[in-house]
Amino acid sequence: MGDLVLQKIAISGPTLASMIQRLSSSPADLDGLLFGHVTCVAPSALSDDSVQSTPDSQLVATISSFLSFPSLLSFYDSLGRVDSSRLTLTNLNQKPLIGWFSFRRKTPLRPSMRESSVTRSLPSNPQLYLPIQNASSESLFAPSIFLLFTTPLQDQFIQTCQYRAFQYQSSNLCFNPLPIDIVNIGPAFRGHYGAFSPTSALPFLNCELRSSSAINECRNEENLIGMKRIAKDQSELDMCAEGMQIGRLNQLIGPEAVNYTAGLEDLYKKMLCKIESLARLVEASSAKVVEQENHNRKLRYKVARSAGLE
Amino acid sequence: MSLDGFPPFISAQLHYLINHFPDKIKVEQVLSGGKTYTGGLDRFTLLIPYCLDYIKWDIIYNAEFPLAPPDIIFGTEDEDFHPLHMTGRVGEGDLKFRNILSDWNYKDPTRLLALIQELRDRYMAYQKKRVGEVDDDRLTFEISTICSREGIEMQISSGAEKPEEVKFAVPLMDMNINKMVHGCPWRHPQKIYLQVIYPVGKKYASTPSAPRLKLMSTTELRALFTIEDVKLPSWLDGMCMAEYLPHLEESLQKQVLEAVSLIDIRRHFIEALAPLLGRPLEADPKGNISCFLWILRFPGALPYFNSVS
Repeated sequence: MGDLVLQKIAISGPTLASMIQRLSSSPADLDGLLFGHVTCVAPSALSDDSVQSTPDSQLVATISSFLSFPSLLSFYDSLGRVDSSRLTLTNLNQKPLIGWFSFRRKTPLRPSMRESSVTRSLPSNPQLYLPIQNASSESLFAPSIFLLFTTPLQDQFIQTCQYRAFQYQSSNLCFNPLPIDIVNIGPAFRGHYGAFSPTSALPFLNCELRSSSAINECRNEENLIGMKRIAKDQSELDMCAEGMQIGRLNQLIGPEAVNYTAGLEDLYKKMLCKIESLARLVEASSAKVVEQENHNRKLRYKVARSAGLE
Repeated sequence: MSLDGFPPFISAQLHYLINHFPDKIKVEQVLSGGKTYTGGLDRFTLLIPYCLDYIKWDIIYNAEFPLAPPDIIFGTEDEDFHPLHMTGRVGEGDLKFRNILSDWNYKDPTRLLALIQELRDRYMAYQKKRVGEVDDDRLTFEISTICSREGIEMQISSGAEKPEEVKFAVPLMDMNINKMVHGCPWRHPQKIYLQVIYPVGKKYASTPSAPRLKLMSTTELRALFTIEDVKLPSWLDGMCMAEYLPHLEESLQKQVLEAVSLIDIRRHFIEALAPLLGRPLEADPKGNISCFLWILRFPGALPYFNSVS
């Protein structure tokens, strides 16, 4: 499989801000994984040349989310070899892996010995390769993006975060720096959202338009199966909305669709409720995580100090 | 130099490295990678002597994660230097290097020195490979003739503005100068090197230009022998290093032997003064052997008599 060269990396403003906030609040160096998708963007060929050479289609990788690990040597060892038993599809919750990032304060902005090794061994598991959206060929993209964050060497009164993205090309064993496009909300950026794809989709619920006569005839026999299916569909809907009865979805299709707007607004309201309660859960669990991390740090300090006493 | 502010496990390893490295290593730009300074200083730049110059490597420890080995960032010109996965045969040295990292023991003060020495050897092999790939017939020939010499170090240097150059550090004269000097105070073996810088030739240059030559010595040797006073024999057109070096070594050897014998003569002279000027007489070479200032103390009118020779 040949190397797929990216033209640039796109990241939305909120994602980048969230990453930098996470990095700045970390007490030590940090690293983690990057998730997203790779799209094939056909360049606008506005030339009137008679020579029609097919322009190279451009690959753009979009970073949509990240996962940070609180300690070093999390998914790799001290030689920079990636532990493929930790990076499986199940462990990653089926999220599409496109690369990894590293943050280290007060260091130069180029890959280090271990980071080169990790980036090189990241594409070792072909199961993690991604299909490219809008692509003509069936080639898969191997996770090869490395995003490096550092802070300047001199103490600054202003918090500064420097970052650079690289794509590792296994064909010539080099790190290729890539430009980063930050996609923000606003009229100027409307065009950039052309390749936007939501990462949280509504569950696919089986929707059959049954005629009323059929329902009356088979009602008794299908009752148990029907109830089971309703229960299953309700649990799928509960994953993204709170307090929405599955029967109410009737309002969005069929003869009751006259109240379409009201039904949709109701659905969105219940989805927001769900997000709110999730946020509360996250807050509570974050407090527990911080407590555990503090405890771990105290233990590590003890270990570090004890080296001198021996 | 003071190494305060480091957590104990880092300062132990850094101290050991500075004291036991065969040459003089410098430490610069010591910083802390933590959000606050409570963890201590844990990153610094090492200036490691190589090819009569220094290479700068940034060593990144993590005070928060003492069990992990340090990470290293190499210089800006060495983007292709990847010691953890160098292509080619995996020799014994490579296994030894990988074992240092995989069996890292943060309590062992000798680890950092072992790591740096192994990396420096890998770096030397990397530079040798790069120099070997240079597309210049004359250089290829030169390398083939002198690579059998022990201890040669070479380095390619290229930049945006300056042309590509290959630098060689050739150790001269297989003599143990330390042994030749009576009561030598030097801790490290003293050596003289010839620095040869070749520009990487373009194919269409008619005559290859002479390389830039410079004699350099280890710092403490300057007390015995001022290297700047030595006049290098001229490089004739069409000469190669295999021809040039023997002449240079011969003349240099004579000069070094002369300087050593002069010191012996001075010493004998001072010792011979002892019975004439009466005891007690102390001859204090005052650290610098050829500094020309021997402080003699002997009973008599003057508190001391400086003999300048």
